[in-house]
Amino acid sequence: MKNSIYLIAAISLITISCKPKFEIEDPSFGEMNPSSYVALGGSSTSGYSDGAYHLNGQENSYVAILAKQFEEVAATSFIQPLASATGINLDGNSRLIMGYKTDCKGVNSLSPVRVAINGDNTILGANIYSSGPFNNIGVPDLDITKINTPGYGNSASGTGNYNEFYSRITSDEINGTVLGDALAQNPTFFTVRLGEQDILNYATSGGTQAMPLTNGATGSGFDGSLDEVLSAMSGTGAKGVIATVPNVVDFPFFNTIPFDGLVLDASQVTTLNAVFNGTGVSFQVGKNPFIMLDPNSPPSFVRQMLPGEKILLSIPLDSVKCLGMGTINPFSDKYILTLEEIDSIQTKTNEYNTIIRQQAGNYGIAVVDLAELYSSLKAGTVYNGISLSTEFVSGGAFSLDGLNLNPRGQSMVANQFLEVINKTFNANIPFASSIKYPGIIFP
Amino acid sequence: MQKILFLLLILPLQLFSQGYQVNLQGQVSQGMGGAGSALMQDGSALFFNPGGASFIHKNEISLNLTPTFGNSTFLENNTNSIAHTTSPVGTPFSAYGIFQIKDSSKLKLGMAIYTPFGSTVEWEDEWAGRFALTRLKLLSIFFQPTVSYRLTDKIGIGAGFIYSYGKVNLQKDLPIQDANGEYGHAELDGSGNGIGFNVGLFLDLTKHVNFAITYRSKIDMKVDKGTATFTVPSSLEDKFPSGNFSSSLPLPSVFTFGLGITPNDKLSIAFDGNYTDWTAYDTLSFDYENNTESLDDTKSPRKYVGSIAARLGVQYKATDKITGRVGFTYALSPVIDRYITPETPDANRLNWTIGMGYKISDQFSVDASLLFTQFKREATNEETGLSGTYKTRVWAPGIQINYTLK
Repeated sequence: MKNSIYLIAAISLITISCKPKFEIEDPSFGEMNPSSYVALGGSSTSGYSDGAYHLNGQENSYVAILAKQFEEVAATSFIQPLASATGINLDGNSRLIMGYKTDCKGVNSLSPVRVAINGDNTILGANIYSSGPFNNIGVPDLDITKINTPGYGNSASGTGNYNEFYSRITSDEINGTVLGDALAQNPTFFTVRLGEQDILNYATSGGTQAMPLTNGATGSGFDGSLDEVLSAMSGTGAKGVIATVPNVVDFPFFNTIPFDGLVLDASQVTTLNAVFNGTGVSFQVGKNPFIMLDPNSPPSFVRQMLPGEKILLSIPLDSVKCLGMGTINPFSDKYILTLEEIDSIQTKTNEYNTIIRQQAGNYGIAVVDLAELYSSLKAGTVYNGISLSTEFVSGGAFSLDGLNLNPRGQSMVANQFLEVINKTFNANIPFASSIKYPGIIFP
Repeated sequence: MQKILFLLLILPLQLFSQGYQVNLQGQVSQGMGGAGSALMQDGSALFFNPGGASFIHKNEISLNLTPTFGNSTFLENNTNSIAHTTSPVGTPFSAYGIFQIKDSSKLKLGMAIYTPFGSTVEWEDEWAGRFALTRLKLLSIFFQPTVSYRLTDKIGIGAGFIYSYGKVNLQKDLPIQDANGEYGHAELDGSGNGIGFNVGLFLDLTKHVNFAITYRSKIDMKVDKGTATFTVPSSLEDKFPSGNFSSSLPLPSVFTFGLGITPNDKLSIAFDGNYTDWTAYDTLSFDYENNTESLDDTKSPRKYVGSIAARLGVQYKATDKITGRVGFTYALSPVIDRYITPETPDANRLNWTIGMGYKISDQFSVDASLLFTQFKREATNEETGLSGTYKTRVWAPGIQINYTLK
């Protein structure tokens, strides 16, 4: 009797404390097969972020996250040309983290700082193809017109025809090409994110570097070069997806320093008005547009910036604060996107996207509308209680270079890809949990 | 920075109830689907219908406790990640005392102490909705001194004044990470009080049919000097100053229509229909004493809609000592899809209840009941973007001891 009472009590306790369960459909690849997945693209695909090529960025690039989600379905391998935690960029610098910096005026404040005094020079010193072949052949600063040009990994090719990052992973310095290295892996699945880098190369140079022609043969035009890539990749029988190009002018790199951020007091106004007397430029107390060089603005060839024009994050801020940059030393063109340049970026973006959609249609490649994802970031969005926007640092989606996404942002890109992959190939691959990927780390 | 962070501070609600209204009162009515405004059997009449209390011809004290075992599981859309609640057992209780000055007096006095809302909802660590809610603890006690008067042999009226006292502790993680990967945390802790009333009319229409109309007023629970504590990376501490906050939570008015039918001495049937005016819960505001660019006052839309519930119960007196009860409730959720939150994964629901009473002696009796319900809701919250399906299951066994003063 006593025992049966205990038994009833035990069963009751188990019953009332059991948790509701869900039946979850088994994950599957549907009609796609990522057993040999190759990712093609520029900086964002390589994992370049926080202003450098580094381990954490690579491990959290959207393509690495995609590969991780494929693992949820079945074991697949995804090999990356991993660098060190310190990382390196072409100026020899390490990656950025949030820290404290003292500016020229002695003010100490929270700011992106380099994680080490110098970048890790060993990263770009040697070719590591032997530890490949690499599923991720995203190449920082990739120029699409060079994607199938032999020697792009050879320093002898000279500036503009040579990419140090590709040199590191090329199968052959003399003859290797990015596209050739991709095809050599007999891909069964591929993702392509091209065009964005070419526009970024132009935009981050303040419009001083050229963008590829919209129409032109392979090696000179965007449509010819892309066509060569897509026809070769889909020609292997592999299934693939391609991303559209976002409006890069929305990125924090172009929107953090306001064009009219020059705040002056009365005595500064008097001094500057005297300096600029006769140039047609005058100043007032309070906010003023910065001053820039403009060869089309005679006779002084300087003018005030116009609303809508962008100051790049690459500007030396200490020079602005203490050396009169943007006033008595007007900004040079490489730090500025003029209205005309912004206009040409937008035109080019639309043209590239039209071509991307056309060619994707021709080759039966599904389109991931990344442009839309970035627009929603620009408008401000919320994900599981996290607000995300294109604000520098506080927006929570971009890394500290203001150009590439941080791991959380990358995971949202990966999910955008997965949405299309699942739909197109009748797959059921679970999305990445974006809250598990870090945004900005604060000290 | 991250101004919208605090848009996300969500409202204190009770997990396992319609909106945040708990209908766990006397075990007699609980065994009968929660119906009982027109069937005056015990001290819970003070809660259900102050007008009917005058028809209870005894001095009685009832104590009652309903341990509530609630479990929710959340399945996030797209990621298929699953999270469970780890909430402790809820312990709604109530105590009723009914007294008459002298035998068969027309005037009855009563005191009801009850917990119309209160529980702890806790989600497992690092769950998908951690930036919406990690833990919500609510405690509240209502004190309701009541006067009930029998106008005629057929009509009773009554009124109770309600003083309520409550405590709330709301916690969630903040999406700001430090170098160790630890997220920030916010804790809002406060207490508040409010006043209201509970009135009712009881009609003993015929020997077999009773009729009831009751109205419990809205009560605004005001928190004046709550304490907000923020744990954030040291570099952002000045942006999230800990300090006081104020807020308020409306407990909506409830209008009830009840019917009691007693075909014979052994059988009773009770039906209640409730309309709860949840439209009172339109916005949840938090007003912080120290605002910064990162910490704004918040106004979160809730937009609850008025909701109805239907309750039906049957009681059968098997012997002089033993009574059996069974019933159910069907209740509509006041929460619209896009405002579903992790503390109220509310849904339309069907509650099943059974109960029994046992008379130990002329002075002592006990009543017990068991409530079971489970429900499911898929929703995407507009403010947080949290998107998925909640499944909730509740078992609530309750016990009540009655002592009749001779």
